[in-house]
Amino acid sequence: MPNENNDLKPIKSAESNIDNIIVNVKNLNFYYGKYHLLKSINLYFKKNSVCTLLGPSGCGKSTFLRTINRMNDYTEGAKLTGEVLIDGKNIYDKSVDVVELRRNIGMVFQNPNPFPKSIFENVAFGLKIHGIKNKDFIVERVEKCLKYAGLYDEVKDKLNKSALSLSGGQQQRLCIARAIATNPSILLMDEPTAYLDPVSTSIILDLINSFKKYYTIIVVSHNVQQSGRISDYSGFFLDGELIEFDESGNFFTRPKDKRTENFITSRY
Amino acid sequence: MENQQYDQSFPVDKGYLIRKKIYNNLAFLFAIGAFLIGAFPVFHIIYKAIAIGYKYLNWNFISTLPTGFPIGAEGGILNAIIGDVYLVVIASVLAIPLGIGTGLYLSLFGKKRTNYFLRLLNELMIGIPSIVWGIVGFYIFSTNAGFGFHLGFSALAGGLTLGFIMTPIVVLLTEQAVNQIPASYIEGALALGATKFQATKSVILKAALGGIFIGILLGVMNIIGQTAPLLFTNYYNTGLPTGVTGPGGAVGDMAMLIFIYIHEPSRILHYKAEAASVVLLLFIFLLDLGLRLINYLVKKFIL
Repeated sequence: MPNENNDLKPIKSAESNIDNIIVNVKNLNFYYGKYHLLKSINLYFKKNSVCTLLGPSGCGKSTFLRTINRMNDYTEGAKLTGEVLIDGKNIYDKSVDVVELRRNIGMVFQNPNPFPKSIFENVAFGLKIHGIKNKDFIVERVEKCLKYAGLYDEVKDKLNKSALSLSGGQQQRLCIARAIATNPSILLMDEPTAYLDPVSTSIILDLINSFKKYYTIIVVSHNVQQSGRISDYSGFFLDGELIEFDESGNFFTRPKDKRTENFITSRY
Repeated sequence: MENQQYDQSFPVDKGYLIRKKIYNNLAFLFAIGAFLIGAFPVFHIIYKAIAIGYKYLNWNFISTLPTGFPIGAEGGILNAIIGDVYLVVIASVLAIPLGIGTGLYLSLFGKKRTNYFLRLLNELMIGIPSIVWGIVGFYIFSTNAGFGFHLGFSALAGGLTLGFIMTPIVVLLTEQAVNQIPASYIEGALALGATKFQATKSVILKAALGGIFIGILLGVMNIIGQTAPLLFTNYYNTGLPTGVTGPGGAVGDMAMLIFIYIHEPSRILHYKAEAASVVLLLFIFLLDLGLRLINYLVKKFIL
């Protein structure tokens, strides 16, 4: 159940210190069968920042993203060692409730994947599966989330129409509205603009920028330009290794590693 | 660039071009011919059944019980129609939950190795000849001696036996229907914190409903024409059932009716059997239309 205080309030931003770290990944290894997909990853994400993880296809950045909300749990043959601490708690601990964990971590996928239900039901889904029955609350919250995602004006007259009737960009924003409906503190985005046209992409990027106040956003991307536009921190993955992770300013202008430089200057 | 020579010639074999066309036409003719040979019996049956049976096809034929001597010489086939409803309902009550449950397990929950064996078993079940099902049904449901449910020759025993024939078909089609749903639906639901059960119930089942319906209809189409499994479990009743088990529990059945009428040395019963075939064919045709309608609706509104 979300807290009483369901309005989106900016989390107090303290100076950058240890308390400000929301996700801390320590020595994470991920195996799929014989393949060693992620090789001792160490990094942390700060509260209310946008981080982009760059890298060529198949470098393990999506797999890494999915370890943060334990989406790899159902993959047969997957094995994981190391720790992922969220607010200081290891999420791979036996005592952690995956359902509550995923309520706290919204996820947006590469393909816009609204359910074959009405627009309203799509956003309300997250609330309903967490046991919220109060209809007024649901209606109010759906409306709010659609507004936050900048979609409300476009769909307010057809909330009961199928979500599949929307355009790709609208569908992706609907997925964002759906993800924030459960009031998460972290948003994971797996190449959210990969299949969208430039205009929709631009809208989504602006959205990510404006969401920084409320959420910690981790975006996986292979588009260097887009990452530069939105991110505070950037990381570069290659063959399952984290090559470099730094503030975006340094990352894009003065990369320490040659391989990072090659990638961001499109020499791959 | 200027001084580079591009070889733009292409060797043309005119004979081959002509042969190619001939082969193409031959293949087409072969396909049409094969289809016509295959379809001939169907048209023949439809023609025969209608030509012979049409005199007896009227409302009375469908709405009255068989009477006269030999029984069936007068009256209609109401006993068989009602009996079929009994059998289909009983079979469905067994096969639908079992089939959907197993199908969902296979496509969503099962581990690789269990799935392998379950699928093997399911395919084996589809391949079991119907007469074998009749014997199995007899030993499990009908016989009054030894192990079993001792239901006698009844709609219950016959329906449950048919249910076991229908189940693997529903399993197969359910699994296929769920596998057609984009994995992103399931992932989307799980990422929001849904349990697997919640994801199945509110997203997957709805999206797969059309495909599951098709499985159920195919199952019904299959069992409605079955005679062999009923030989040892239900046989036939010229009237309506009077009890649940034992001889009184037996019901009439279209396929059994045709089988029995054709066996009787009576011209009029042969005609009636043809007329009953037309009714059965019509029923199957309607089921098929329903199937197509569902398929169309699914494509239009769900996928």
